Amino acid sequence: MGRLRVFSERMKGLFAQSRANREFEDELEEHLQLLTDRFVSQGLSPREAASAARRQFGNGALLQQRQREARTFLFLSSLWRDVCFGARMLRKHRGSTVAVVLALALGIGMNACIFTFVNALLLRPLAGFKAPGEMREVWEHSRNANGIHSFMPLTYPDYVFFRDHARSFSGILGYDGDPEGIIWNRSGHGEVLHGQLVSGNAFSVAGVGVAIGRSFTPADDQPNNPQPLVILRNNFWKQKLGGDPGILGKAMMLNGTNYTIIGVAQPGFTGFQVAMAPDFWTTLSMEEQLIHDPGRLTSRNTNWLLTEGRLAAGQSTKSAQAEISLLAREIELAHPDTNKAMDDVLYSFAPVPGPFRGYVTAFTGMLMVVFALVLVIACANAASLLMVKASGRAREMAVRSALGAGRGRLIRQMTVETLLLALIAGCAAVLLSYWTSHLLLNLIPTSLPISIELPLDWRVLVFTFLVALITGVVFGVTPALRGTRVDPAGVIKTEAHSGGYRKSRLRTVIMIGEIAVCALLLFSATLCVRSLLNAGSIDPGFDTQNIAVATLDAGSLGYSDAKIETFYRELDRHIRALPGVVSSSYVNHLPLDASREQTSVIDESLVATLPHGIPVDVFRVEPGYFKTMGISIVGGRDFVQSELDRKSKVIVVNTAMAARLWPGQNPIGKLVKVGDAKEQSEVIGVVKAGNYRSLGEDPIPVLFRVEMPSLRVLVVHTSKDPGALLDAVQRQVQIVDPNMAATQVQTIGSFMSLPMFAARTTGLLLGASGILALVLTWIGLFGVISFAVSERTREIGVRMALGAGRGDVMRLIMRQGLYVTSVGLVIGIGAALASARLLSALLYGIRPDDPATVVIVSAGMAAVAVLACHIPARRAVRVNPVVALRYE
Amino acid sequence: MTPEKQDEQIDLLQGTLDLLILKAVSLGPLHGYGVLLRIQQLSREELVIQQGSLYPALYRLEHQGAIGSEWGESENNRRAKYYKLTRFGRERLAGETQKWNRMAGIIGDILRATPEEA
Amino acid sequence: MGDKKSEVLQGTLDLLVLKTLHSMGPLHGFGIARRIEQLSEDVLQLNEGTVYTSLLRLQQQGWIASAWGTSENNRKARYYSITRLGKKQLEVETENWERFAGVVGRVLSQEGQG
Repeated sequence: MGRLRVFSERMKGLFAQSRANREFEDELEEHLQLLTDRFVSQGLSPREAASAARRQFGNGALLQQRQREARTFLFLSSLWRDVCFGARMLRKHRGSTVAVVLALALGIGMNACIFTFVNALLLRPLAGFKAPGEMREVWEHSRNANGIHSFMPLTYPDYVFFRDHARSFSGILGYDGDPEGIIWNRSGHGEVLHGQLVSGNAFSVAGVGVAIGRSFTPADDQPNNPQPLVILRNNFWKQKLGGDPGILGKAMMLNGTNYTIIGVAQPGFTGFQVAMAPDFWTTLSMEEQLIHDPGRLTSRNTNWLLTEGRLAAGQSTKSAQAEISLLAREIELAHPDTNKAMDDVLYSFAPVPGPFRGYVTAFTGMLMVVFALVLVIACANAASLLMVKASGRAREMAVRSALGAGRGRLIRQMTVETLLLALIAGCAAVLLSYWTSHLLLNLIPTSLPISIELPLDWRVLVFTFLVALITGVVFGVTPALRGTRVDPAGVIKTEAHSGGYRKSRLRTVIMIGEIAVCALLLFSATLCVRSLLNAGSIDPGFDTQNIAVATLDAGSLGYSDAKIETFYRELDRHIRALPGVVSSSYVNHLPLDASREQTSVIDESLVATLPHGIPVDVFRVEPGYFKTMGISIVGGRDFVQSELDRKSKVIVVNTAMAARLWPGQNPIGKLVKVGDAKEQSEVIGVVKAGNYRSLGEDPIPVLFRVEMPSLRVLVVHTSKDPGALLDAVQRQVQIVDPNMAATQVQTIGSFMSLPMFAARTTGLLLGASGILALVLTWIGLFGVISFAVSERTREIGVRMALGAGRGDVMRLIMRQGLYVTSVGLVIGIGAALASARLLSALLYGIRPDDPATVVIVSAGMAAVAVLACHIPARRAVRVNPVVALRYE
Repeated sequence: MTPEKQDEQIDLLQGTLDLLILKAVSLGPLHGYGVLLRIQQLSREELVIQQGSLYPALYRLEHQGAIGSEWGESENNRRAKYYKLTRFGRERLAGETQKWNRMAGIIGDILRATPEEA
Repeated sequence: MGDKKSEVLQGTLDLLVLKTLHSMGPLHGFGIARRIEQLSEDVLQLNEGTVYTSLLRLQQQGWIASAWGTSENNRKARYYSITRLGKKQLEVETENWERFAGVVGRVLSQEGQG
């Protein structure tokens, strides 16, 4: 009972400590005063009385401290003392503190930055969803003859079938995967918005609410009775419409149709996909009016719907998957021609769509490994530095040990100090990663309607401080253990004879390790950078310098077909009249962008060997496209205007398609059936194959046809700088039709930054990591060699006194540095070559074991090593032998 | 010895412990464990000394010259250090016993006094 | 420790302080030290500071309580007084001490048996 009472008193003693201390001090003073008075009254002089009183009282300072300790928990109060002491020590050795904090902050910060993106893309759940753990994505899956898996969104009829028949889901929602660029006609003034088509049950299945108004219902989404209704994104409503609640019920003219605003989504909800934040949502049934692609609601060939379902109570992924597979089989039996060999798979719901999750994880995982290695280097540096500092404090440790501080206590104290360092570095790292991650966001090409929000998420903070803590423990342990392994008598004695240089084996090993890791990083980074340079010069099959592009959708204004054609013809005429323009044309979408149209092509004469034909990608072009884009026509001819006007059944194929269907033959004049068409099309031309889906891919069979949709991309070839043309293009559009506005007006170079995005970012990050590693290693090497020099001052003095020349001394110093460097290089490059195979997927046109890279990295690091050793070596040479010998 | 250790030490005067050890050894040479046993025996099992306190006290007393030590053979034929009282130790035992008795007496008086006898 | 003068163990001092407060009523630290000095007729030589260590311990165990008041010469002083719990403990501890002193006394008076 008494124990408990004492315990609680000590807990209470944690608070108001300073006041208690002060009060006790007063009490002591009072007591001493009274004692002194007593002695005075006994006849002593005031001064004698005072000292007698003090003697009788005993050691006041000691007593105060004991009281302080007894008042509360000894452990905590001594821990706090360690913290204060540690802080003071850090402030005293400001130089090394800053160096270590900087190195660590950089290492930890970079890791935290990568993690920020990992978090935003993979870990952080989409805002606004209710119980996202219950959602499952549904993807259509098929495997082609080569065993390559392909994952596709669903077609509308398939989606409806699942939605209506799947019992294992309480609801399945669907949405269009590409937010569309829509022209908002705001009282005669055109502005481009991004809108998304969603199913009527989307908001309710997702559990997302509205701030004002109401949300969609399935009744709003009937294909035979489409309702022009929109729900606005909350931020869009606040920014563009002033957050006015009165807009409910008002109309918005979008792509020529009036829509009624029925609601505004709850704040924070930015959509069903990560990084895409559409300005408004409308129902799937409005598809034809909004994006003018008729037939999507009935076509079994157009895969455009991303779908997610909420598991019903008591259902598991397995049971749901089983049901879905069964339903898919039913569909396949009912529609054998369109749904052959397709099953449907489920993925758990995450911001990044299921099939891509693997790639994103692998990519970011690799980046994290890279920066973890940089952090390792930083830690090694910090550890070295601290060990150096510790051996400098050996004397202090010895004295404290002799005075009775146990080794455990000393270790605890040093650990507290390094943990403080790590904590400070952690805080700096948080700032650094926040700043850097926002900087990296600017790298994203603006042509994408991507918006990733990067607020300071608790997960990132936890991660950062966890890493900082682990770092602190890891690099703090060794110096603490070594620094406190002192023999008090021994150290104090040997101060007098600072004997031979005790080569620290551990420090050498650490240094070699650092250099090896650095070499590894540099090698990989150099490989990637060189591969990037190669990729930059990959020929994608069209001109990447002199073209300007702009996306237009005349159909968005509800024009008739005839009016659409008139607009585009007029525009074309105006564009050609611009100075510097060599040619212009239209295409339905550019190669290497995200869109893809696929179909199958059958040559009936080959039905024996290729009964189902081959899959091909489709581009719809106008005459002059190939010339404008610099695509070579290797056989036959281009389309002509009359074929365009009459919508003739003619196609141009690329060399890959020709090789697949008619190897060794002349494809001109061959007849094929394209997709669902009843009539055959004739091949009139062959163009050289280029890249269509991604850079560096294997050749894909492609055909070109002249049936143009209302949404087209204008391509303009200019002899001047295409950037200068952009404003002119926009102006011409306005001149031809003031209601029209072009979107994504950019040079081809800026467009190309999108396909290059992944490779470029990787190269940037790897390059940064390589440079960082190099700098850190250089600092580390410099520090170690400097310290070695100062330790060997006496030895150097002796040597010089014995006749060694300056060159000899320099060689002596350099030898150690170069030894460490060469061993490290051998290990590092060895490891790099062994693991280079992992990188080969990312490399364009360079072998993973490229010898030139080996030479570059070795030479670079050797140069750095020489630099690091040179300055300390020069300092060593300037040692005055007499001074050195006297330096005891 | 850290302050915490002192607080938790068994309630035995440092001086008292020394005294008890001297007394035990005065009745005949003993090794460390034997001292412990004899004190227990003399106090009729009421006083149990912790080994952790005993040995530091023994070394201290030896260092102060109150006891001397020599190696001998124990009951089970093992080598052990035997302590015996020195002449200085004998004097100290006598003097300290007297002092202890007087102090104990005074403390007892204080404790037994009723409030009126202030 | 280096306090050669403190021959009285902490526990015993606690007891004396407690007894003093019980007999004399509320006292401040100086008063307690004087009283002990007087009663022990200068045999108990202690560093007066250790009284405060006792007082803190006794407070933490709840056997005494403290309050600020004014001393005889009109200065601010902290007064300590025994609690009801303390009074009970005093009886128990006094008994313990008597037994202890008795045992040790008996041991010290044993005659040598070789």
